[in-house]
Amino acid sequence: MDRSYDIYLVGVGGQGVLTIGEILSEAAFQSGWPVNFYPTKGMAQRGGFFKAQLRLGRETIGPNIPERSADLVIAMERSEALKAIRFLKPGGVFLLWDSVWAPTAVMLGQASYPSLEAVAEQVTKAEGTLLTFHPEQLPPDQGQPGSDNLFVLGVVLAATPLGSILPAQQVEKVIESRWKKGIERNLLAFRAGREATEYPRD
Amino acid sequence: MESIVLHKQIISGNEALALGALVGGASVITGYPGTPSSEAIGYLLRNPLPGVHVEWSTNEKVALEIAAGAAWAGQRALATMKMSGLNVAYDSLISFAYSGCTGGLVVYVADDPGVTAGMAEQDSRGFALMADLPMLEPSTVEEAYRLIPKAFELSEKAGTPVFVRMVTALSHSHAAVEVQTEFTPLRREPQLIRDIAKYTKAGAAICLAQHRDLIQRLSKAEEVIREMGINQLLVAPKRGLGVIVCGLTASYLEEAMVALQPFNLDRSGISVLKLVSTHPFPEQEVKTLFDHCDQILVLEELEPYIETALIVAARRSKFPGLIRGKLDGNLSRVGEYGTREVVKGLAQALNIPLSDSLFSGLAADSMAAPRPITVCAGCPHRGTYIAINQAIRKLKLKKDAVMVTGDIGCTILGMNPPFNTVWNEVSMGASLGLAQGYVWSGVATPVIATIGDSTFFHAGIPSLINAVQHQASLTLIILDNGWTAMTGMQVNPGTAIGAQSGGHRLDLAQIIPMLGVDWFFQVDPYDLKATTEALIDALPRAGVKVILARRECAIQSLRRTGRAGRVRQQAENCNLCKLCITTTGCPAISLTENSIVIDQALCNGCALCAQICAREAIVRQEG
Repeated sequence: MDRSYDIYLVGVGGQGVLTIGEILSEAAFQSGWPVNFYPTKGMAQRGGFFKAQLRLGRETIGPNIPERSADLVIAMERSEALKAIRFLKPGGVFLLWDSVWAPTAVMLGQASYPSLEAVAEQVTKAEGTLLTFHPEQLPPDQGQPGSDNLFVLGVVLAATPLGSILPAQQVEKVIESRWKKGIERNLLAFRAGREATEYPRD
Repeated sequence: MESIVLHKQIISGNEALALGALVGGASVITGYPGTPSSEAIGYLLRNPLPGVHVEWSTNEKVALEIAAGAAWAGQRALATMKMSGLNVAYDSLISFAYSGCTGGLVVYVADDPGVTAGMAEQDSRGFALMADLPMLEPSTVEEAYRLIPKAFELSEKAGTPVFVRMVTALSHSHAAVEVQTEFTPLRREPQLIRDIAKYTKAGAAICLAQHRDLIQRLSKAEEVIREMGINQLLVAPKRGLGVIVCGLTASYLEEAMVALQPFNLDRSGISVLKLVSTHPFPEQEVKTLFDHCDQILVLEELEPYIETALIVAARRSKFPGLIRGKLDGNLSRVGEYGTREVVKGLAQALNIPLSDSLFSGLAADSMAAPRPITVCAGCPHRGTYIAINQAIRKLKLKKDAVMVTGDIGCTILGMNPPFNTVWNEVSMGASLGLAQGYVWSGVATPVIATIGDSTFFHAGIPSLINAVQHQASLTLIILDNGWTAMTGMQVNPGTAIGAQSGGHRLDLAQIIPMLGVDWFFQVDPYDLKATTEALIDALPRAGVKVILARRECAIQSLRRTGRAGRVRQQAENCNLCKLCITTTGCPAISLTENSIVIDQALCNGCALCAQICAREAIVRQEG
């Protein structure tokens, strides 16, 4: 491999950001890329801030992506997305899954929560390209909510430059070998994500 | 000879260490859970190998003593811990350092620069210096795998325990490594060696002789490290800058050099010493650098240990050049290092003007909504915190007047909103000692200590015995969820039979009354009324009172036996007082514009919200 590709992932514990990172790592590894994947576990159980860093293409590389260096940011929650902006490379792609997990203080009206416009403004300031997708776009699966992280994974491969260096079939293969149960639900969401177009921002 | 089957797969730094220990023939492996070190033992327990004894020990000191005992009997043994655990184990470690070992003994310690797991930025390299023990530090996942067998070899050749140190970003990194798939533990015939001069500390003569031996073993280790080629010195074609990297800074060097290429960085004038043995100091390699360089830059995270030793060596060798690093004020002793710090060090040494924006991004973090972490939906600790708060109120005490000391683990989350119950956090078991200090300082209101079950087994028991002996009037609440939960659900002595890998369960409900406490209560923290009443009963009494708040961790209980129950809403009764949210802070309850919503997928049915609700808008669903 003669090039490198750095991905910074953020979200809230329980959203399945770790799974996205693990699937991308495994697919990249199976495609012959050198991989370093560093999820920050810490105390990020369900409901806490979660981040992970995936560095592709270099044999020896430190786990942490320097600021202004990530080719791609995958953000699964609007407010937590703000914590990834400093890592975006100018000209990089910032993929936002615009879900809102309001902390208690926000629910009770004791703290403010950022608007989508505010996040968009920051991405623009950081000279990145914002791609927004919305939970409404996730098709239900037999009346149940679909698998949002697999949907986002599909979006990543279809809408960002990663899709041109990581074949979707390779990723599907990893998905198929990962789960004994629920493959259909996950593949449905993954494929729907690949068909999705950017959510209109007004 | 059997052929070795290799398989390339993605593994974590901790798994690499565990697999490396198996390659190295370790047959006794012990540890106590602690982020970021826990996954090494976790992996070995999930993949048991006949002939290898693996256990979660009661604490790190016990773990180390077991591993050392095995190494004294001639086996290869590994003890694993986070840096806080090394502090606990050090009392024994210094003795093992003095005695040395016959079988290989490796101590894995995981440090946490940048503090991702909460605690201190302790640089455990200081322990290697203090104990005169060799310490090896891998810089990649693959190197971790390859280094552990060498650490055992070094330990046996030099006759000394050997540290392997990793940091969070490496322990938790995942990379592809070609690993062995089958292992043969080096199971030797155990030896019993009677050698008072080596294995006891009986008198000054013995101890002084051991101290001399220790110093000799360290210089022997330096020789062995050189023979084994553990460190790498790359002497540049031209004179110029010498760079010493160690641990993770080595992994960032290439990226930093590439980043500096647009500034005409001349690599042919940069010699690099990639240091894997951070202790003992690599005198010979450094002498080569002195002969070949005009100045030397040290890139090390946290404390300037190598830099300090280098300055001493430079003085002794009359090296005239500059030593650069932290002591000249350029690089920081605080926080995790990455490419930016490596670039900064190189740029300063080479006089390269940097733009402020290089690796410095737009900080939008402060615009994010604060997200304090809380206990999981269904967590039994939630009931205990609410009960403490209610009991204080019902006893007509002010919350600011009742000291509730805290401890390590999930139980510390009682410090966060909405509970704001717990006041402090120090170290394993410290809640009880602190509480006794508040009692003897003359605090007139009830003093409460809170601690989890694993933490109590680890370091709480001696302190409870102390409270009983000295009759310190306090209330200890043991939040017993049956697991070492915060670090990822490890077993402890109190874990239920069936889930218990140790084979025998110790029941706190039997142990504690036998320690001579004055009052003992056992409650189910899902029963808010009973828990609150026990507290109201206990708090005003004199003597040592222990409340065992017992209910299995909701996550583990869900996996093992299913959810605790169900609640349902009677929306017509709800007046949107939000008490369920403001009191429980349960992640399963949210507020929409005109109603409370309970996420049934997340709800464990603990029904604490139903017990809080004054209007029967949330009720327990029977059957």
